[in-house]
Amino acid sequence: MITISELGKTVGTTQLLSNVSMEFPTGKILGVIGPSGNGKTTLLLCLSGLLPFDRGSITIGVTSITAEESSLRSEKIWQFRRQSGIVFQHLHLFPHLTVLRNITEAPIHVNGKPKAVAETEALALLEKLGIGQHRNKYPEELSGGEQQRVAILRAIAMNPEVLLLDEPTSALDPIRSGDVRNLLQDFTATGHTVVIVSHSVRFLRGFADYLAFMGKSELIEMNRTQQLLENPQDERTREFLHLSEMN
Amino acid sequence: MLLALQSLAAYSSPTLRWGADPSGGAPYVYADPANPQTYTGFDYEFAEALARQMRMRAEFVPTDWESIVASLNRKEFDVIINGFEPTEDRAREMLFSKPYYLFRLQLTVRKDNNLISSLEDCKTNGKSVGTLVNCAASRLLESGGYIVKGYQDPVGAYQDLELGRVDAVLMDVAAEMFYARRNSSLKPAGKPFHTGAYVVGIRKSDSLLAAKVNAAIDSLADNGTTERIFRKWQLWDDEQLKLRTKGTEPYAMTSQDFNWTEGLIKLLKAAGVTVLLAFGAMIIAVILGIPLALGQSKGGRITGTLCTVYIEFFRGTPVLVQLLFLYFGLPVIGITLPGWLTAIVGLGLNYAAYESQVYRSAFQAVPERQWQVAYSLGMRPFQAFRRIIFPQAFRIALPPMTNDFVALFKDTSTAFAIAVWELATAYRELANATQSYLGIGLIVCLYYLAMSLPLAHYAHRLERKLQRKSTGILTSGTEQ
Repeated sequence: MITISELGKTVGTTQLLSNVSMEFPTGKILGVIGPSGNGKTTLLLCLSGLLPFDRGSITIGVTSITAEESSLRSEKIWQFRRQSGIVFQHLHLFPHLTVLRNITEAPIHVNGKPKAVAETEALALLEKLGIGQHRNKYPEELSGGEQQRVAILRAIAMNPEVLLLDEPTSALDPIRSGDVRNLLQDFTATGHTVVIVSHSVRFLRGFADYLAFMGKSELIEMNRTQQLLENPQDERTREFLHLSEMN
Repeated sequence: MLLALQSLAAYSSPTLRWGADPSGGAPYVYADPANPQTYTGFDYEFAEALARQMRMRAEFVPTDWESIVASLNRKEFDVIINGFEPTEDRAREMLFSKPYYLFRLQLTVRKDNNLISSLEDCKTNGKSVGTLVNCAASRLLESGGYIVKGYQDPVGAYQDLELGRVDAVLMDVAAEMFYARRNSSLKPAGKPFHTGAYVVGIRKSDSLLAAKVNAAIDSLADNGTTERIFRKWQLWDDEQLKLRTKGTEPYAMTSQDFNWTEGLIKLLKAAGVTVLLAFGAMIIAVILGIPLALGQSKGGRITGTLCTVYIEFFRGTPVLVQLLFLYFGLPVIGITLPGWLTAIVGLGLNYAAYESQVYRSAFQAVPERQWQVAYSLGMRPFQAFRRIIFPQAFRIALPPMTNDFVALFKDTSTAFAIAVWELATAYRELANATQSYLGIGLIVCLYYLAMSLPLAHYAHRLERKLQRKSTGILTSGTEQ
């Protein structure tokens, strides 16, 4: 179970998140939708433990942090960060490392995995996504879609409880392709959770198990994907879905 | 009226422009401590007397001792009157007058030194001897195979002797009397020895002037003017009476025949020193630049301010001044470093300020998200820095660092100011000895190029090798 309770975050006079609470089960895919600039990415960064928040708390599995702990460089925030892996919109692969080393760097040097084991596992993942032949290339030599797969594998290789994807539709193609979808579904099947932030409803339909709609800095509603799409409770959700349909 | 006529006469009479180096030039020619606008010294008085005897007006032209012959030949002045000794090598370049004073050399050591009582002791014990560059003493020492350290002026030589940077100093008695005799921590070693002569130096083409100067020197010697001047400076002895008789000249002429093979080996050694200085200083700069950059950008207010003050101080003042400060200033508070180490430390401290700025901009060029990705993968700050941030920043910093290193290479030439025998010092000394500024200059440039070109080449290759892996920074987009 992942629990977010009364989460709040303000920068200067701008409220980025106000009183956001939600709960969803592990082993599922959650989509977070809403117009740009409504705090979706902020929520994701708070979940990842990379962005301190002002109020509330987040619990992933057995680890939880409060607002105070999120802003301290305490042992707890480091543990909490290990619960999740994040794939940024612009991926931010390590440009000085090969594809293989992008994936194995953390397992070897953080988890202390033997190099041979880490490489065998990484290669298996690369093969699964059909990019094993690129293992010794540098990120800049890959297409956008290939780079996105590497970024996802880099996060998955650390075996996090939750995988966080920020706007994956900007590199678009691969995430909709069968092999990446299979990879993520295999990942959830083993009890892991995936959270995808996107402004594209079309992309999440039929892929996410749950959808959460973010209005201006707050959570408007959350439901099973089909129910939210067919029977939205709030006027703002209806309006957003209507505009999405038209696009 | 009388005054006006006198000054008119003075201005209408021809001028004898004479050159000498007044810095550390006592008691020859130096700024009068009682009245720093004017000069004094026995050579100053002698030059005035000489000009008067020749019915000319003396005009003093301050110059640099080391290149004094070159300046004479460039016609910056007409004659050299600066305790100037005739040498066989100089005889090829210029004319010498008759001697107007016979000098001797005196060896000086530290008070507590009982090992050295003669020049021979320095050789047998392998002790270094300091002296002025380009003078009779330096020629004597160099041809005798001593460990020589050349100085631009006596002050620096005796100061280094006190500080133990050199074991003995050999100098003309006149300078020794003025700078060392009254210093309680130094003492003369043995008696004065080697009689040499001070003469007036004249351009080779000015034989007419030479004849007039010789006649005037004879007159001054015979009418007692010379004696009066040198008695006043307590430098008179009966030896000088020999100059009144017009017999054979009773002094020895030192010689330095330039041996090209030896010269090139000397230059090669100097090049080695240059390499040592450059690499030593760069290692200090590269390492010290890291805490400076971190302190300035990530340190608290006090640390940050201190780092900024350090950086602006070293970037905003000339490296030459910094070296002089370290060499002569630090001993005051009890820290005495040898010249080469001072040069390495000084240049290192200076370039650390530049490297810190290279690092700072390089780290700023690595996107903040790279830190976040590393953290989300469970890396701790140090691990993230070492494995993710540093390698990327290094690739960005490499080209400007290469530039700085080549610049540092050339800046090692400032070490000549603190008597380090590196390539630029070697150039000045050898070119002065041979008067071959062009030939030796070209060789020295070749030495510099032979060192800096491979450096630039290898750095460029390394850059290209790393560049192939690093352009991701240039292609990654911005993120809101």
